[in-house]
Amino acid sequence: MSGDLLVAKGISKQFGGIEALSELSFEVARGEAVGIVGPNGAGKTTLFNCLLGLDPPDTGTVTFDGVRIDRLPVWRRSRLGIGRTYQRMELFMGMTVADHLLVAEQAATGTFRVWLDFLNRGGPTPTELLHVEEMLEMLGLADVADRPVDGLDLGHARLVELGRAMMGSPQLLMLDEPSSGLDADETARLSAILANVRSARETAVVLVEHDLQLVESSVDRLCVLNFGRMLASGPVDQVLADPEVRQAYLGTGG
Amino acid sequence: MTQLLNYAVPGIPFGCVFALMAVGLVLTYKASGVFNLAFGAQAFVSALAFVSLIEDGWPRWAAGVLAVFVLGPVVGLLLDRLLFRRIRTASPLVKLVPSLGLLVALPQLALIIAGSTPDIPPPALFVNAQRVYLHLGSVPLSGLELSISGCTVLVVGVLVALFRFTPVGLEMRAVVESPRMTELAGVNAGRVSAFAWMLSSVMAALAGVLLAPLYSQLDPQNFTVLLVWGIAGAVIGRFASLPLALLGGLGLGVAQQILAGYLPAGIISTGLRPSLPFVVLLIFLPFTRQRQLDDPLSGCDPPSATIETETLGYRSATTLAGAGDGGAHAVSLWHRRLESEAPDSLWARAARRPTSTLAWLVTGLAVLSALTWVPGDWLLTMTQGIAFSVICLSLTVLTGMSGQISLCQATFAGLGGFAAGQLADHFGLPVVLGMMAGGLLAALLGVIVAVPTLRLAGLPLALATLAFALLADNILFPTSWVGNGAGGVTVPRPTAGPVSFAAPRPFFLLSLAILGATAGIVKLVGDGTMGRFLAAMRGSEVASTSVGIDVYRLRVIVFAVSAGLAGVGGALFGSLEGSLSPNDFGYQISAVLLVVVAIVGLGSISGGVVAGLVYTTLQKAVTTLPSRYAGLVAVLFGLATLSYTRHPEGFLDYLGSRLLGFIGRHRSLSHLMGRHGPDGEGHPPPIEGAERPDGDALAPTRAPGGAT
Repeated sequence: MSGDLLVAKGISKQFGGIEALSELSFEVARGEAVGIVGPNGAGKTTLFNCLLGLDPPDTGTVTFDGVRIDRLPVWRRSRLGIGRTYQRMELFMGMTVADHLLVAEQAATGTFRVWLDFLNRGGPTPTELLHVEEMLEMLGLADVADRPVDGLDLGHARLVELGRAMMGSPQLLMLDEPSSGLDADETARLSAILANVRSARETAVVLVEHDLQLVESSVDRLCVLNFGRMLASGPVDQVLADPEVRQAYLGTGG
Repeated sequence: MTQLLNYAVPGIPFGCVFALMAVGLVLTYKASGVFNLAFGAQAFVSALAFVSLIEDGWPRWAAGVLAVFVLGPVVGLLLDRLLFRRIRTASPLVKLVPSLGLLVALPQLALIIAGSTPDIPPPALFVNAQRVYLHLGSVPLSGLELSISGCTVLVVGVLVALFRFTPVGLEMRAVVESPRMTELAGVNAGRVSAFAWMLSSVMAALAGVLLAPLYSQLDPQNFTVLLVWGIAGAVIGRFASLPLALLGGLGLGVAQQILAGYLPAGIISTGLRPSLPFVVLLIFLPFTRQRQLDDPLSGCDPPSATIETETLGYRSATTLAGAGDGGAHAVSLWHRRLESEAPDSLWARAARRPTSTLAWLVTGLAVLSALTWVPGDWLLTMTQGIAFSVICLSLTVLTGMSGQISLCQATFAGLGGFAAGQLADHFGLPVVLGMMAGGLLAALLGVIVAVPTLRLAGLPLALATLAFALLADNILFPTSWVGNGAGGVTVPRPTAGPVSFAAPRPFFLLSLAILGATAGIVKLVGDGTMGRFLAAMRGSEVASTSVGIDVYRLRVIVFAVSAGLAGVGGALFGSLEGSLSPNDFGYQISAVLLVVVAIVGLGSISGGVVAGLVYTTLQKAVTTLPSRYAGLVAVLFGLATLSYTRHPEGFLDYLGSRLLGFIGRHRSLSHLMGRHGPDGEGHPPPIEGAERPDGDALAPTRAPGGAT
């Protein structure tokens, strides 16, 4: 299938005796938005870690944009065009919002040369600065651009993570519970930004999320993960109507 | 078989002492989150008290009881209350520096109090040390060996009983698992942690008193070496398992004796035996789980945002000018602002940065003085200070910018110095070129250190580099083609064509130029892309790789740059002194330098420069005091770490922020500064374990861990 951007086949991962993922296969088409839901402990974050290589899977292959990436180091996979955010945020403490984006932009374009620094030519290029400004505008972070992330409120901090993941225009965005800890207003803003990003850049998105409203409004396809297996996959309403899914995730009554 | 037994049995008492150390280390590490490098110092303090009391005519049992069961726990309690309790959840560096400071300071403090080293050889605790009491097979067991082994068995038995059968043992196990939950269950975790400290301190004291008779004279050095064996045992126990640490220590003791027995005499046995801990560390460290090692309390206590930002925030006096403005104080010197500021007049700039202006004034005055009226011996001290400033700046790059903790910077410096000397001696290479070559060779060594330790960070990295420094001290430096052992290597003063730098003042100028070049390199690295990448890596290694930074390559590069700078500094020092011996750059120097730079300020170039000057100046100043106070510098640094835990940004930045606060209160200047904080003080809130900032945005929203 030429339309597939990311294809993962037969991914298994064990932690001690616990099988976090078993023989999981998963694919994302170009520009597609896929939601992944599932109870806590279903293996959602583990799947992200396996795809990006932070936690190498025990078995299985991952192909991205036609290239086998499962043996590549994390930073190479990232430069091929994968951005990700973290459920438990991983911000660069002490750095400003703008610097977060600048680091990501410079890393994604791979412009770092040690000798340039020594010649005092290591600063950001005008193009890089422009991209940072654009991203700040798009996320509405321009007001806090020069503030260190340490004191930001959660809503802004999540946006900084999102912005950092989007620098360098990745083809695939993996978002790990971006709305967790946000209130209704902030979630609505996040949803609008996601829609904006998708229409403007045609980025494929994998969204792990507990907020079903956000998922329903943002994705084309929904996958349900339970005990490391894919329980169901398909259009959102169809999957949510599946009795097995309701049993595993939503509770029988809901 | 008999021969093996012959070698192995004498190793058991050593093993027992190592095991005591290892168990004590693991105990405090798990109960308080601090890896107590001062353990060896505590052992020395008690051993010194024991021998001194006996020299004063006390009976052995009374001296032993006082040294082990009174002095030991009192020291432990004091350390817990005054220091380590505050830093339970601080960053690895903030936890490491005080214990390093105490490792150096405690023995010297004890020596100053005791007045002098006792003249009598240390006696054994109970029995006649030399008399053979019984035979194991054909191996005679002396009283010393029996008393050590017996005491260890006893201590281990008491520990097991304590943990298994007593309420306080149960509480301790609970605190180790989760201090916060234990407190919620109504247990005073602070009291339990204090108990753990006292308990482990008793073990340190016992190890010290038991081991003292093995040496003919009490020397803090021996106890530090002992500590390294204990560390290796603790690493075998993965910092977590008391039984494994016990077995590890015991095994190491036996293994080193067997090695000594079978290996041929000479360099292999004298060199390889002390390197065994290094080999063990290098083998076992990668197997320990990184996350667990970073912070034993990470699974149970939410990360303290206050302390994290305190220590990770890489600040400098210049940026504090904007302090107080909505918390913008963490904007760091090393990250270029996106909008460049409009050019100001010189005066406006000077007024906006009062601290750096003041610093330049002081520097200018100092240089002028050095070139005119300063007497020769103090000029020498200043030049030495400049050489050490260069070495300290290497730590500014490595630890300050990238957050890696290295305890082998002095080794890099030593290699640089030896290389410059050897190249001049054997190949007639001009010394200035030799300094460069020394820097390059040290950089190469930096790469060699960085590659096997790529996956380590924080405490494990610090321990691995410490072990490497020991390895170099024992194997690399004694060889004739590197450090030439005790003989040392001569490093001539440089000449460049007709200009000779042999005289003190020209050499001072040359040193100043080299320092300037070093500072320039540090500034370029910090302001450039590398500085930004390093700051990102310091913030979160995981996130750095996932935005596309090759973290491993970056780490190798920063190690190389840092080691190279240290090498140049070492060569400069060697050339100043005329000769360099391995003792000049032993592993203790690395520890002291890290402590000094951390206290003065890792966050700025000025911090590194001042650190080097402070280091040599204080040492010079002490020489004017009676010889009894020779260790006073070490004591001062040790005490300064107490304030360091309150102000991890460093003394210099703290002073700068105070100064800014003072100026801010005087309105006449405030309009020149543009803005000043509402409270008039730019310094961040002090660390108090329980305090949290209002915008605690970065605390985890869910329980950490789990496979979701």
